[in-house]
Amino acid sequence: MNTTLRDQERRTGWWLLTPALLLLLLVYAYPIARSFGLSLVTQNLGTELQPVFAGLDNYSRMALDGRFWQTIGNTVFFTVVSVILELLLGLGIALVLNQAFPSRGAVRTIALLPWALPTALIATTWTWIFNDQFGVWNDILLRLGLIQTGVNWLGDPNWAMWTVIAADVWKTTPFIAILLLAGLQSIPPDLYEAHALDGATRWQSFYRITLPLLLPQILIAGLFRFAQAFGVFDLVQVMTGGGPGGATETVSLYIYATIMRYLDFGYGAALVVVTFVILSLAVALATWGLARLRAVRAIGEPR
Amino acid sequence: MAAVLNLRSWLSRRRYLVGLAILCCTAVVLGNLVAWPQPPIRLTMLTSALDAEQGRSLVAAFEAKNPDIKIDVIEGPTGSNAIEDLYTTSFLLGGSPYDLVMMDVVWLPKFAAAGWLLDLTDQIPAADLADFMPADLDGGRYNGKLYRLPIRSDAQLLFYRQDWLEQAGIQPPETFDDLIAASQQLQQAGTTKWGYVWQGRQFEGLTAVFVDVLAGYGGFWVNPKTLEVGLDRPEAVEAVQFLRRTIEQGVSPPGVSNYQHEDARRLFQAGEAAFMHNWPYAYPLSNADDSPIKGKFAIKTMVHAPGLTSAACLGGWGLGVAKSTAHPEAALRVAQFYASPEAQRLSSLENGYLPTRRSLYSDSEIVAKYPYFPSMMGVVEKAVLRPPIAQYAQASDILQRYLSAAITNRMDAEAAMMAAATETRALLARN
Repeated sequence: MNTTLRDQERRTGWWLLTPALLLLLLVYAYPIARSFGLSLVTQNLGTELQPVFAGLDNYSRMALDGRFWQTIGNTVFFTVVSVILELLLGLGIALVLNQAFPSRGAVRTIALLPWALPTALIATTWTWIFNDQFGVWNDILLRLGLIQTGVNWLGDPNWAMWTVIAADVWKTTPFIAILLLAGLQSIPPDLYEAHALDGATRWQSFYRITLPLLLPQILIAGLFRFAQAFGVFDLVQVMTGGGPGGATETVSLYIYATIMRYLDFGYGAALVVVTFVILSLAVALATWGLARLRAVRAIGEPR
Repeated sequence: MAAVLNLRSWLSRRRYLVGLAILCCTAVVLGNLVAWPQPPIRLTMLTSALDAEQGRSLVAAFEAKNPDIKIDVIEGPTGSNAIEDLYTTSFLLGGSPYDLVMMDVVWLPKFAAAGWLLDLTDQIPAADLADFMPADLDGGRYNGKLYRLPIRSDAQLLFYRQDWLEQAGIQPPETFDDLIAASQQLQQAGTTKWGYVWQGRQFEGLTAVFVDVLAGYGGFWVNPKTLEVGLDRPEAVEAVQFLRRTIEQGVSPPGVSNYQHEDARRLFQAGEAAFMHNWPYAYPLSNADDSPIKGKFAIKTMVHAPGLTSAACLGGWGLGVAKSTAHPEAALRVAQFYASPEAQRLSSLENGYLPTRRSLYSDSEIVAKYPYFPSMMGVVEKAVLRPPIAQYAQASDILQRYLSAAITNRMDAEAAMMAAATETRALLARN
């Protein structure tokens, strides 16, 4: 009796889940499976855009494709540096905005503005700020006497990536700051009071209370930004177009060129699959690592 | 009672419906007998917002002459890459809404190889083609077949400050060394901050600059017939070394390695450069009433190595007919109209575009308005086409990456060109 009732409930449960599952399959599983299938064929102008089965040819071609590895390297560098900078700066801004000061509401709204502006617009503006002849940034540095001649920020391979990162940090730090601010406001103030009564310094409070309790928000903000930064496209496209000499070309720029401009669908799909696998592995690793960190800390706490 | 009434009203309603049906049938039959005037054929094409704006009078002129056809011009984004992407997506998805395809010269091989364009070879009598510049026509051919009628030509030029050169008693430069020497002389005299500005950003503009310089050294990129690659030959290496020298010797600002056309034009127009490599679009802008250099500059073809001649990189636009169109004849009529002397004359006079027909370069009204046009004819006639290969976009990207790496000192010029040649050969062998 009991089991049949449970079976019935389970069956109803599955029925109720079906629409959601179907939607997920359609939206996520199908494109991934289709990309994988496409990555096993050659379909480009050479085959008159008809698919011809090619096995793992696209993957072996990729292994020897220096441009692919360069773009992966660029993307990883861009992602790691920009996300770390954004987390640090975002945390700082969140801590400031969490303090009570006059016109705090207005300042919070203004702080979010860069995040709300269209990226292409911001990118164009930054391109002008970093222009070697008319740029504001060079002008400031020249006036301060820090440099003697205008630096070629976007045209110099050593600087171009840092310039793009600077623009990205400016745009997305507010997003992280707002997420972390929400986290900060959910921490009860009595914890700090009790800690202070025990004689803890502000730094100790920050390290012992704020950071551990903010960890979930930091984790979420970091993951969001990580996935977004890994797919960065518009900012780089507008600021440098991937140059100079491919120094800022990210993997999404390369995929776009392969599919849309070269019409090389099989190889483009293979690029998508490998990038997807790398990204999933990185996210899984990060989530696992941070979960472990939290577990260790939770055990260590009572001591 | 009620039931009877209902029945009666139902009956009357039925009679009414039957009557209506008979009336409709009669109307349809009669209508066919009378033969109503056909609604005009509607043809769609996508152009940049600027082209759509500037092309209004052409559409009006065509529709006035051909009342049976209406042209719907879809206003696209301003950037030509974005237009290329929109056309590409529409053709890839099938059932493209566009009947006519307005194409830049470098997209043609890809669009033709993908099978998106109608072969126009047998549609146009040979006599009709005689007036076109051969280079412009070749820009519409792929594998010997014609897919595009040229409606607007373009060729890169060297702009120079005539007033400064005259003041300093310098002849307009002929060779690469002349250009550098003249720049340095003007810079040392304090006349100008920079000598020569060009487009060094990793994008199609860099390819076009390089094509000019390469032609001036007598080299070639890809031979479209034999698919031979000439990038690792001494001429190509010399061409790269020249571009690098302009930065190393302070003739060009270091920032040229991220410059596009407008960055160069702003510097030149602000009076901060003596020479500029650019397309003719910059001429009317720099010569506008509010331009500080109005009437102070002149144009010539790009310089060349001693004993050789120069050749400009060819640009330009044309119209093709989409293979998927339901009205190929009507679409061809539109394309032929846009390429006609009448239409090109209008477009030249209104917007300053270079015609693709020889006869218009001696048209008195056009020459009166643009005195530099006759000298442009020689430039366009000698202009070189970027390789008309299906994988052009990819070949150009390979070249841009290595050029950019060489210009910014990431790679040695020779090593960069060797690598570019190897990759280009691999690309051509693969497809």
